[in-house]
Amino acid sequence: MTHHRTLIALAIATTIAVGGLLALPVFAQGTAAMATAPAGLYQALGEKPGITRLMDDFVNRVVKDPRIGGHFKDVKPAALKESLTDQICQLSGGPCKYEGADMKSAHADMDINKGHFNALVEVLQSAMDAQGIPFAQQNRLLALLAPMHRDVITTR
Amino acid sequence: MTHRPPFPLLAAAALTLVSGLAQADTGKLLLTGGVSTIAGSAGGGLTPWAVIGSNATEGEMGVSAYATRAATQDYGLTGYGVALGLYDRVELSLARQDFDASPAIALNGIAPFGVTPGQHIKMDVVGVKLRVAGDAVLNSDSWMPQIAVGLEHKRVHPGSIGSVLDFLGTKTSGTDVYVSATKLLLAQSVLVNGTLRYTNANQNGLLGFGSASPGKNSRSLQPEFSVAYLINKHLAVGAEVRFKPNNLQALGAAAGLGAALREDDWKDIFVAWAPSKNVSLTLAYVDLGRIVPGITNNRRQTGYYLSAQVAF
Repeated sequence: MTHHRTLIALAIATTIAVGGLLALPVFAQGTAAMATAPAGLYQALGEKPGITRLMDDFVNRVVKDPRIGGHFKDVKPAALKESLTDQICQLSGGPCKYEGADMKSAHADMDINKGHFNALVEVLQSAMDAQGIPFAQQNRLLALLAPMHRDVITTR
Repeated sequence: MTHRPPFPLLAAAALTLVSGLAQADTGKLLLTGGVSTIAGSAGGGLTPWAVIGSNATEGEMGVSAYATRAATQDYGLTGYGVALGLYDRVELSLARQDFDASPAIALNGIAPFGVTPGQHIKMDVVGVKLRVAGDAVLNSDSWMPQIAVGLEHKRVHPGSIGSVLDFLGTKTSGTDVYVSATKLLLAQSVLVNGTLRYTNANQNGLLGFGSASPGKNSRSLQPEFSVAYLINKHLAVGAEVRFKPNNLQALGAAAGLGAALREDDWKDIFVAWAPSKNVSLTLAYVDLGRIVPGITNNRRQTGYYLSAQVAF
C-alpha cells in the first residue's frame, strides 16, 4: 500500500520534471500545431458568413469596451473586421488566406498587458455566445488563439 | 490555549484592501483562479492547484475571501479565510477551521482523557504559494503545465482533546510543503491538476502532526489529483482524490485498539458555479473515509461540502 503510493508519488514527480523538459520542444512546435485546424470547427463557426457576422459583432464590442477600446482608436473597424475574418477563417480550417501582419509586429507599439488580453478573450466569448456558438466549440477556437498571447502581450 | 492569532486583524486588513481593489479592474478569466480550498489556498476544494488565487493577473493585486461548511455522519467543519494574489505570481492565504469533534467524548471510555462534551478542534493555516513556471490557461499549444510550489503552516488548538494528542505523541503544529502542476486542456474544456504534498499531518492536521512510535512520525509524499470539466463559462464539474498518510494506526494497534485510529484517503465530486467574476459557489459530495473509526462505529464519513467565495 505504502509502496504503491510512493510509486504514484514518484510517477508524478517524474511527470512534472519531464514535463518541464519536454515543454521546450513542444513550445517550439506551437506554430506547426496551430496550422492543423480541429475537424469541424470551421463549420461550427458557421463558415465564412458566420465568421463574418461574429467578427462584425466582436469588433463592435471591442471598440466600445472600456478596458480595451482605447487600443483600437486608430484602427479602422471595417478593415479590422475583414482582416480578423480571414484570420479566424484560415485558423479554423476554412478556405481563406490571412495576409495581414504577423501578430508580433501588429501589436508591437501597443501597450498590452495580460489583463487586456484576457479582456479581449472575454469580449470574444460574449460575441460567440451572441452567435449561439456552443461553449465546447468556443474553447476549440480559443485554444488556437490563446498561444498568441506570447506575441500580443507587450507589457509583462 | 489562550493563543489568539491575529486573524481578525489580518482579515480586516484584507477587507480594507478589497474595498480599494474593487475599484481596480482585475483581469483573470472566469474560474481560472480556482476556488478556495479548505486550507485557504486556491485550488479545488480539498487540494491546492498551481493557480494563484483572486482575480488578479499579471501586474495586478487581488484578494478573495471564503466561507465553507462541511458535514458528515459524525463530524462537522466550518471554515473561513482570505487569500491575496500578487501579480499572478505569489499567493498568501490565511484560513481558520473549526472542527466539531463531539464523538471524541467516547475517548474518555478508553482512558481518563478529560475530553469535554461538544469539544471543537480549531486550526489556523498560513499559506504561501509561488508560481514558478508556466501558464495553466493560455499556453494551449503545449503540454507544459503551470507549476507552483507552496507551503501550509498549520497550528491546531485542540482544547480538551489536547490530552489525547499528547498521548498520541502528535505535535500541535506542522508544515506541509507541496508542488502543484495545473493544466487547462482548453480545446477539450478539461482542467487537470496534480499535487505532491510532503506532510506528516493527521487528518489534514486536525489530529496533530506525526505520531509516537510505532506510529509514523516523519513526513511522507502524498499525491493529490483533481480533474474538472467546464460545462460553460460559469459552471464546472469535477472530482478530486487526495491520498493521506496513515500515521496513527500502528500506534493504535500497538495499544490494543486495532484499526481504531485508521486514516483514509479523501475523495470528492464537485460542481462549481461562478455567476459573476466576483462570486463562486462550490457544492461537493465528500468521502473522507474513516476518521478515528474506533469512536464512530467504523463508519465512513461521507457528506456535503458547501463553499462560497468572493474574489476581486
